[in-house]
Amino acid sequence: MNGTTAMTTNTAPITLSVDGLAKTYEGHGRSVEAVRDLTFEIRRGELVCIVGPSGAGKTTLLRCIAGLLETSGGQIRLDGSPVTGPPAGMAVVFQEYGRSLFPWLTVRKNVELPLKEKGLGRAVRTAKVDAALEAVGLRDNAESHPWQLSGGMQQRVAIARAVAYEPSVLLMDEPFAAVDAQTRADLEDLVRTLWRQLGVTVLFVTHDIDESVYLAQRVLVLSNRPTVVLEDVRVDLPDDRNQLETRSSSRFTEIRSHVYGLIQLAKQGHRPDAG
Amino acid sequence: MKISELPRRALVALGLPVVLIALWWLLSAKSTSFFWPPLSTIVQAFPQTWTADPLVHDVLPSLARLLGGYLIALVAGVAAGTAIGSSRTLRALCEPVLEFFRAVPPPVLVPVIALFAGYTGSTAKVITIALGCLWPILLNTVEGVRSLDEVLRDTARSYRLGRVATFSHVVLRGSSPRIATGARQALSIGVILMVISELFGASRGLGAAIVQFQRGFAIPQMWTGIILLGLLGVALSGLFRLVEHRTLAWYRGLRQAERGV
Repeated sequence: MNGTTAMTTNTAPITLSVDGLAKTYEGHGRSVEAVRDLTFEIRRGELVCIVGPSGAGKTTLLRCIAGLLETSGGQIRLDGSPVTGPPAGMAVVFQEYGRSLFPWLTVRKNVELPLKEKGLGRAVRTAKVDAALEAVGLRDNAESHPWQLSGGMQQRVAIARAVAYEPSVLLMDEPFAAVDAQTRADLEDLVRTLWRQLGVTVLFVTHDIDESVYLAQRVLVLSNRPTVVLEDVRVDLPDDRNQLETRSSSRFTEIRSHVYGLIQLAKQGHRPDAG
Repeated sequence: MKISELPRRALVALGLPVVLIALWWLLSAKSTSFFWPPLSTIVQAFPQTWTADPLVHDVLPSLARLLGGYLIALVAGVAAGTAIGSSRTLRALCEPVLEFFRAVPPPVLVPVIALFAGYTGSTAKVITIALGCLWPILLNTVEGVRSLDEVLRDTARSYRLGRVATFSHVVLRGSSPRIATGARQALSIGVILMVISELFGASRGLGAAIVQFQRGFAIPQMWTGIILLGLLGVALSGLFRLVEHRTLAWYRGLRQAERGV
């Protein structure tokens, strides 16, 4: 794929579909309805962000999609097949980079382990690991251990691991919430670059409105708990984005204000008519 | 880590033992007490006492039993510990029983086990050592597996690591610092039980030899046995630290990095 992704998304096949997803936590005699009725679709090659007020059940939603959490209703399908456990075509980048990398393995071995489990041969594995580390700019750190690297570099390792896995959908759960602002900007650009280079489908969860608009082709704004989709916002910014120009463009500001307004509505408990 | 630090560290490590030995030597030099012979006498008795025959027929069998019991405890403790640590139900079920068994002093087991497995054979001794070593390894493994990071578990699940890979790459490695803590405690318990298990009705073995020297009023020889036992303990714990140093290098680095932040 190349820079024309945005033009072709409308006709691309649907990779991930979430239909009427509901999640209610049961326990200690009371139940908490976290997600009520979520429906959306993501086409192959899209980069979609999910934003919502804090406590909107963003992480719950992502864990359901990743097959790490059982749903209470509705259906999730990845490439047509229902998700009942962690599916083969999905890779997750967690927020807690320091806790999602195996500290006893080197950077190379961290990236390589899932490939080994896939049953790939040594030569193929080495090539894929090298390519992934090259893509995130960590070629020279392959033999380091994760704890020898900075936070931003550790998250790059997690991204390399996900990319090397070659998933149908790459899930990212507030991956940059714990890094400093400059590193964050670099990592955002890295995600854009990888997405455009590799044509991978990305679902990116964040609480940061600017980040969502900067990254995405579409922003799904979630309501307050119990969660539904408030609006599916198209981001019609050009594909070539950069931190300075894109963020200061008038269109960016318009979309940003719109999403911001939606989040304010969500916080006040506004829901679409269906809810 | 500098080379120039090595002599200084060696000096610090060996300083106190050298002083203590010198004190013992000086204070016991003029001793006429039958029970406290001069250290020089003990040192002279050492090579005569521990010739090839007792080394092969007393020390080696003792060490073999220690090794056997210890390895059984290690395998059984880690296996049962990971099973109990991974399942909340199993943990709730086993916890009270484990607490009880941990509270029982291991030497008490010696006569009980001897009733079933016989006084004289090796079996009873190996079982005694294994049972005594089991609890610290088991309990520490349970704790290590239980406190494994949820995010790591999720990572393993979402990348669909199989049972074997999850066990060996995630569960075992992740709880290895705690397992090592348990294994270290177990080693000293094992040495104690190696000796104690031979005090009852054994004719050969390091512990049995020391008791026989004592009963035969061969006091300098008895002291050599105790010194040999101490040296063995030091050697074993040195060996343990060597293995730990290599396998847990990542853990030391991680801890240092966390403190550095």
